[in-house]
Amino acid sequence: MTEVLPRVRRRKRQDWAGYVFLLPWFGGLIFMIVPFVASLYLAFTDYDLLTPPRWAGLANFREMLGDATLHQSLKVTFVYTLVSVPLSLAVALGVAMVLDRGVRGLAIYRSVYYLPSLLGGSVAIVMLWRYLFGYDGIVNDLLATIGITGPAWTTDPDYALSTLILLHVWTFGAPMVIFLAGLRQIPAMYYEAAQMDGASKWRQFRSITLPLLSPIIFFNLVQALIASFQTFTQSYVISNGSGGPAGSTLFYNLYLYQKGFAEFDMGYASSMAWLLLMIIAGFTAINFLAARYWVFYDN
Amino acid sequence: MNAPHDGPRLDRRRLLGLAGLTGLAATLPACGRGFGGGGGDDGKIELNMVWWGDAQRAELTAKALDLFQKANPGIKVSTEYQDSSPYKDKLAARFAAGNPPDLMAMRFDSLREYADRGTLLDLSQHAGLDQSALTDSARALGQVGARSFGVPSGLNTIGYIVDKTLTDKYGVSIPDGDTWGWDDLAAFAKQVTKASGGKVYGTNFEPWTVANLLVFARQRGEDFFTPDGRLGATEATVTAWYQLVADLRKAGGIPPAGFIDQNNGASPAQSYLAKKAIASQIIPTNGLLGFNQACGGNLQLLRIPGETRGPRRGQSVDTPALWSIAAGSKHPAETVKLLNFLINDTEAAKAAGVTRGVPANRTIAEAIGSGLEPDNRRSTEFLNKLQNEKLPASYPYPVGASKLTNILKTISTEAEFGRMSPTEAGNQFITEARKAIAP
Amino acid sequence: MSLTLTRVSTPPDAPQQAPSGRKRRPRYLRHVLLTGVGVIMMYPLLWMVSASVKPSNSVFTDEGLWPAVFDFGNYARGWTALAEPFEIYLVNSLVIVTLSIIGNLLSCSLAAYAFARLRFTGRRLFFAMMLGTMMLPGHVLVVPQYVMFDKIGWLNTYYPLLVPHFLATNGFYIFLMVQFMRSLPQELDDAARIDGCGPFRTFWKVIMPLCVPAFATTAIFTFISVWNEFFSPLLYLTDPQLYTVPLAVRQFMDSEGQSMWGEMFAMSFVSLAPVIGFFIAGQKYLVRGIATTGLR
Repeated sequence: MTEVLPRVRRRKRQDWAGYVFLLPWFGGLIFMIVPFVASLYLAFTDYDLLTPPRWAGLANFREMLGDATLHQSLKVTFVYTLVSVPLSLAVALGVAMVLDRGVRGLAIYRSVYYLPSLLGGSVAIVMLWRYLFGYDGIVNDLLATIGITGPAWTTDPDYALSTLILLHVWTFGAPMVIFLAGLRQIPAMYYEAAQMDGASKWRQFRSITLPLLSPIIFFNLVQALIASFQTFTQSYVISNGSGGPAGSTLFYNLYLYQKGFAEFDMGYASSMAWLLLMIIAGFTAINFLAARYWVFYDN
Repeated sequence: MNAPHDGPRLDRRRLLGLAGLTGLAATLPACGRGFGGGGGDDGKIELNMVWWGDAQRAELTAKALDLFQKANPGIKVSTEYQDSSPYKDKLAARFAAGNPPDLMAMRFDSLREYADRGTLLDLSQHAGLDQSALTDSARALGQVGARSFGVPSGLNTIGYIVDKTLTDKYGVSIPDGDTWGWDDLAAFAKQVTKASGGKVYGTNFEPWTVANLLVFARQRGEDFFTPDGRLGATEATVTAWYQLVADLRKAGGIPPAGFIDQNNGASPAQSYLAKKAIASQIIPTNGLLGFNQACGGNLQLLRIPGETRGPRRGQSVDTPALWSIAAGSKHPAETVKLLNFLINDTEAAKAAGVTRGVPANRTIAEAIGSGLEPDNRRSTEFLNKLQNEKLPASYPYPVGASKLTNILKTISTEAEFGRMSPTEAGNQFITEARKAIAP
Repeated sequence: MSLTLTRVSTPPDAPQQAPSGRKRRPRYLRHVLLTGVGVIMMYPLLWMVSASVKPSNSVFTDEGLWPAVFDFGNYARGWTALAEPFEIYLVNSLVIVTLSIIGNLLSCSLAAYAFARLRFTGRRLFFAMMLGTMMLPGHVLVVPQYVMFDKIGWLNTYYPLLVPHFLATNGFYIFLMVQFMRSLPQELDDAARIDGCGPFRTFWKVIMPLCVPAFATTAIFTFISVWNEFFSPLLYLTDPQLYTVPLAVRQFMDSEGQSMWGEMFAMSFVSLAPVIGFFIAGQKYLVRGIATTGLR
């Protein structure tokens, strides 16, 4: 009976407790809902920021169907997300595993590897990028030594996006820290037991690390997708807000910003925002559905 | 069960203690600033004035404002300034929220975005503002039809600067800056590239910058933007522009495709000229001092090529920024008074210097010339001379013109990499530009 | 059922025994690799340090990391060039950051505990809403938020920057803590309940202590994001006395004209120091987490 009791009681709803714990969040919800509802309303208006919004029905959404620049920005954003999210998470997890144990001077490496994320949208990052990938930057100098004439990485529309993907992978610090924290939650005894059984490193990774870390991997994945679809700062800083060269780094969010603040078309920008919300929500929902098959919780 | 008490509780307690301590320590010196305290009402009328620029410009502006506040003890001016790109975002948000500043710096290319939507004060209705010392073309910069929505905070134009240290080094002579044509520029640029063995390219005049193409169009007898706010440039002109660039690139006068980054940043220190990668470029004349400092101090200032060759002049008197007053200002009379002071007071103009260009008031412009640093004096004289000539006027850009910036950049990139011929580029630009500024 | 918590006997950073019969790669190889990657990671910082002691005009033209001409005056000039001495901005930022961290830790952990370990009507709906709040691009919220805070009368105060942190408005941290809390064994709650703990005591005495790594992560991220936050302070603060560090640093430059680059990079470097310090201090708690969760 004592064995069964907790299960039964666990099923019992704890409405009042849940709501009490959520009290601050409910308070915050008011602060969030007001602007949310406002922007949803604006999505159906013609709003130039300076004069009152005028109801426009679905006009903005109809315009989006034929907006070639918007389609270009969607393409840029999808390519960027599909390539950079898995790549940067893999790098972050790999580095976190290496840094998790067994290296002298861990704290230093960890801090150093986190540096690019600290600097964020700093001019120093832009300088590094030009220095590495500029027309006569280091990468092309290196290529020249083996007889290859490299392209103009940052100014050629065919290559600019790939350097931004690299830039993103390079700032793997944030997911790395989360992975590190997650690895720290895995009880060491599992590894001790596995070692006694003579399990290989790979086997330990597959049978212990991956399943026990899966909630954290899941978090990083969902989070990275949401953030990646909303990428703004990198392109804003590197392309000076233009999304150039020739729109090749015009992320959806950057185009939205241009529409809203440079072209005074906040109604259109709001419709774009809600389309993006639906896209992200769709991907997140798929993620949560798929999580049932690979994310392991201890309950 | 044994609840996990021993170790962790220590952590939590220590963590909380630490957080509390730092919180307390940090809050004390702040003394409630930022938490709604203070802000005593001293019975003065407070005006809010905003502009963009760096800390140096702020220091000079503050001096001019001190003079105003001394002369008008009943008025207090609170100021704010930012880098130009966040500045315009905040300005738009403040207008949208119905909380605009009283006096603000307004971009020339956004004036009509604001004015046409009724958010700016019509200055022609206010007798307190005296614009009589401004030339017609200076006044026209802030005018939409018969109404006036802005006064130039200073005047400038574009000029061609050449690094004489480089041309001397490679033995290339600089053409006569008052009479040279685009073919002279091409020959000069080619010569520099050749003489330096490709280490320095002759020039780069940013074909993606609207203001440059605008001058080129005028030289061909076209108004890029017409006074009634339409696109006046023809496809033939834009095609000719890209043909000029393509030929120059082929001849080696400008760097190969991909060499120049459009988004490199506009500050003198970042320029390719300062890096000695090119020998000449177009700048706004109020930047001469900064460029000369960044480039080693031996720059020559020339006019834009082709001024004497076409059916009419291309250069005009322009402004880096206008002063505008919000229609919703609670103290329009006082704000007009402040604006009038900034425009027409000689001492204020001297204090503020020429970072925003040459004072729009002609009497003051002539008067302050002698007290300036040599480079500023040179750019001031350059502009004063132009003002004495008969030039076409600049009109505020039409609504939607801000879209042209990115359109021109994109098409220039496509043309640069040979993905569009000059003809295609011309055609594409006109098609897209018409759509962008359609009424 | 019995639950005991003991410290893990071997420190987690200690090198593990290599499985026998397998040849170990030389250890220095790994360090060479780690250091090599580290140099690329360090470059922007080194560049910034170098730029901070170059004269403004040669910041971009003198491309070497070792300045041809040194100008240490950037620090002194930069410190005093703005409307207020630079320490004012540092203190302002510290106040905001400290309070934001406290707010985030408290409010987000409460919400996360509810989502992760309690069952109540509307849980899924609220959780979905919480995720949804992360999905709308912030640019379209700027104007409505500005109007809202203007109506409340919070313009030119720190409230618009702080209050949201005390009200768990950042879904990122809630979701992060939810994932950490969900990976803790359910037996913990059951055992606590048998011991007579209600949800509040369970949260405070059982779950909180086990989530130290998650809290450290939250604190670190909050510090960095709030410290670097530019647009919100820009929007809501008008009095230079209230400015935060990023607002101050940006006042050295005008992207379309003259800029005081040397002073800007000097003060950028000064403003980086607290962040780096906090990261180094905070990441220790990532280590301590495991030492206290040796669950047997």
